[in-house]
Parts: sequence; C-alpha cells; structure tokens
Amino acid sequence: MINTLAQIDYVASAGGSPWHRASALPKLALATLAIVLAVFAPGLRLQLALYAVGWLLALSSRLPLRLLATAAGYPLLFAVLYLALRWDGSWLHALSIALRPLTGSLYAVWLVGTTPYPDLFAPLSRVLPRAAGDGLFLTYRAVFELIVRAQRLFRAFRLRAAESLPARRRLPLAGEGLATLVLYGFERSQRMYATMLLRGHSGRICGCRHWAEATRADLWVALAAGAIVAAGALLWGMR
Amino acid sequence: MSHLHVPDGVLPPLLWGPGLALALVLLALAGRAGGRDAPKRIAYQGALGGLMLAVMSIPIPLFALEYCLTLAGPVGVLLGPAASFPVVFVVSVILALLGQGGLTVVGLNALVLGSGAAVARPVYVRLATRLGAPSALALATAAAQTVSGLLWFALLALALRLGPGVPLAIGHGDARVGLFAGLTIGLWIVAIAAESAVAFGIGRFLARVRPDLLPAAAAPAAAPAAAGVAP
Repeated sequence: MINTLAQIDYVASAGGSPWHRASALPKLALATLAIVLAVFAPGLRLQLALYAVGWLLALSSRLPLRLLATAAGYPLLFAVLYLALRWDGSWLHALSIALRPLTGSLYAVWLVGTTPYPDLFAPLSRVLPRAAGDGLFLTYRAVFELIVRAQRLFRAFRLRAAESLPARRRLPLAGEGLATLVLYGFERSQRMYATMLLRGHSGRICGCRHWAEATRADLWVALAAGAIVAAGALLWGMR
Repeated sequence: MSHLHVPDGVLPPLLWGPGLALALVLLALAGRAGGRDAPKRIAYQGALGGLMLAVMSIPIPLFALEYCLTLAGPVGVLLGPAASFPVVFVVSVILALLGQGGLTVVGLNALVLGSGAAVARPVYVRLATRLGAPSALALATAAAQTVSGLLWFALLALALRLGPGVPLAIGHGDARVGLFAGLTIGLWIVAIAAESAVAFGIGRFLARVRPDLLPAAAAPAAAPAAAGVAP
C-alpha cells in the first residue's frame, strides 16, 4: 500500500490532465454520484456503463496503469470471498456483484489521483465532525513520515537477521520497534500542537480555499456527470 | 480478519446505511467527550492514525504468510474508546479513498475496527495491576482483535441473509461455509496471536521508557482492615 499511497499522492499534485485542473468539489460530487449509482444500479448494463465511464476518466487522467490496477483491484479479494459464499451458478449475477465494488474503488482512485489532499479533505472536513475533519489532515501529514520510519525499522530488523528468530521472539521485538514510533509520534504531536498554537490555530483546521474555485476544466467534470446521469436515466430499468 | 475492509456495493444498504449513521453519531459523541483537551490531543490522534496506516502498509512475514498489522488494540489502549474512534474513522476514510474499503461502507469499517479499539482499554485497565503492562496490553489487543473479528463475521453473515436476489448458497452449501469458516478462523487466530505478540513488545518498551503514556491500572481492591489493629 505504501507505494500506492505515495504514487497517488505524487500524481495528484504533479499530473497535468484536465481532471487535475478541475476543482475538487465538482469531482467529489461526480465520484459520489457514480458510486451511489453503482451501488444501487438494478441491472448489469448500467453497471457496465458506469465501469466503462470510470475507466475512461481514469485513463484520460493519465494515472499509471499499474497503479490503477493495484488500487482499483483491491476489492476483488472481498468480492471473490463473498461470491464464493453466494455462488448460485449464474455468471451474470457474479459479475454484477463484482462490478459494484470495482466501480466504486475505480472512481475513488480517480478522485484521489487527480486531487491534491488539502483540496480533497477541505470539503470533507466541513461536513464531518471536527475530530474527524481535523484528523484527516493531521493523519495524512503524519503517515508519510511514519511510513518511512517504519520501513527503516523493518529494514534494520532484516539486516540484523531478526527474520531468522522464531515468531514468538520476532514479533515482540517488532513491537518494541513500533513502540519507538509511538514515542516519536507522541513527541511530534507535542511539537506540532505548539506550532499550531504559535501560528494562531483557532481550534479548527480549515484546509486551503481552492477546493471550490471554479475553473474552465470543470466543464469536463460537468460533461462526465451528464454522461453518468444520461446512462442512469436510459439504463436504469434494463437488466 | 478485520483488516480485510468491506468494499462498496457488496453489502445491502439496509446494513451500511444504519452503520454509517451510527458511526457519525459515535463520531459526534466522541468529539464531545474530548472536552477541553481535544485540540491538544488531536495531533497525537493524527500521529497514531498515521502509524496505523503505516503498519498496515508493511507486511510482516509470518510462517508461510505475510501479515499486515492494524494496531487497533494498542491504539485503543493508548487513547481510550472515545478518542480512538475518530482515529479509526479517519483511517477508514483514507483507506477508502485509496480503493481499500468503500466510501459508502466507511461507517461499517470504522465500527469493525473501532469496536476492537473500544474494548481494549477497559480490558487493559483491569489486567495491568495483576499481570503488568506488557501482558495486559497483549491480552487487551487479543480481546480487541477478537471483538473486531466477530463483528466482521457477523456483518458478513448478516449480508448473506439480507442480500437481495438469488437464494443463498449458504442454504445448500454447508460444506462451502464449513471450508470458509475453517480457513478464516485459522487466519483469524494467527492474526490475534501476531497482534498480541507485537502489542506485548509495545507494552514492554513503553512500560520501561514512558510508562506515563500507558493508562493507569485499576486500583486493587482494598484489603479488609485487620480486626483490632489501630490505623
């Protein structure tokens, strides 16, 4: 997941497609609309249409194919598990169950792959309770630093042949290493809180103000939304 | 098993709708429970949420498998039930945005992880005096993983009962369900053991270096005063 997260974060900020230039709010609305339609779609045709539009969006945003396949394919694991329990011999029914989560994750990955995280979290933090809204920013800020430290820690374990130890010794040892990260996280949080106070923290992290600024590229988002609404209207009743 | 996040569109809306509503209510209640310390603690919550995401991304080789930790138990002990719920909610939202789990089922995924985090501290506080911090943290984590796993299984079972459409395979495929249960329960037990062993190490280190970060253990019951002995 580390690679996926780092790559998505990079392409979200560095990408140059029209989707990257569009503002966050319409993209968030578009992805929500598509996911809700995919979840409630009664027939396979509408699901296929939504999935096709999702791929069109993802490919035209020039996100790396491998990244798309990794991130958008994750729900297959749970879907296959669910299908194994519900298998009734109908491939169409199986496809219908599998397409919903795949479509949902495809739109989610398109959204985060084309929107830098401050723009994406700013509208979310306005509708979520404060603890979660502020937590989104602070967690995301902390995660990359902690991932690098955690990777370094596990690399050090490997270099010191910790993997040759039996699991009952190796796992507590890994725990002790992770406890150093807990300590680091605690000390970092103290520093960060002090910095926030010095900068005049008002008790709420607001994020940047670009998320709702309309751009010309928003027309592309409107076009895609129109295609999705049209697909929904035309194919809703079809099996 | 709680680490296998439920994606969009698999569970019926009858299940994820109330799950999302309940998670939002709990989130609002958790915010209120924070009181005056909430802004100060929010940076620590962010750091522990970041750590949860970081360890979820690094597989630990375990026998023939690779296992990704969740740290829901230790985070639950360190923050307590109210403060840990926003952390697991945020972690679930970020994972959903990465395609791991779904946006409509963020509430359910947070409830699965959060239920484990919620039971961890009460278990730890009860056991820490008798067993010491490392063992208490390990057992609290085992309890957390057990509760999360049970809720995950319960969700899957409910989804199979409530799911629309064709008759359930569960009704005419007992062998399949048995095989599934055998496989997943085996993996679940491995997960509980791995998380508990890691939590033991975390507890051992923190008890030595920063015991103030661990919650205070419950005071032992007062010994009955010996009759006739002056105070």
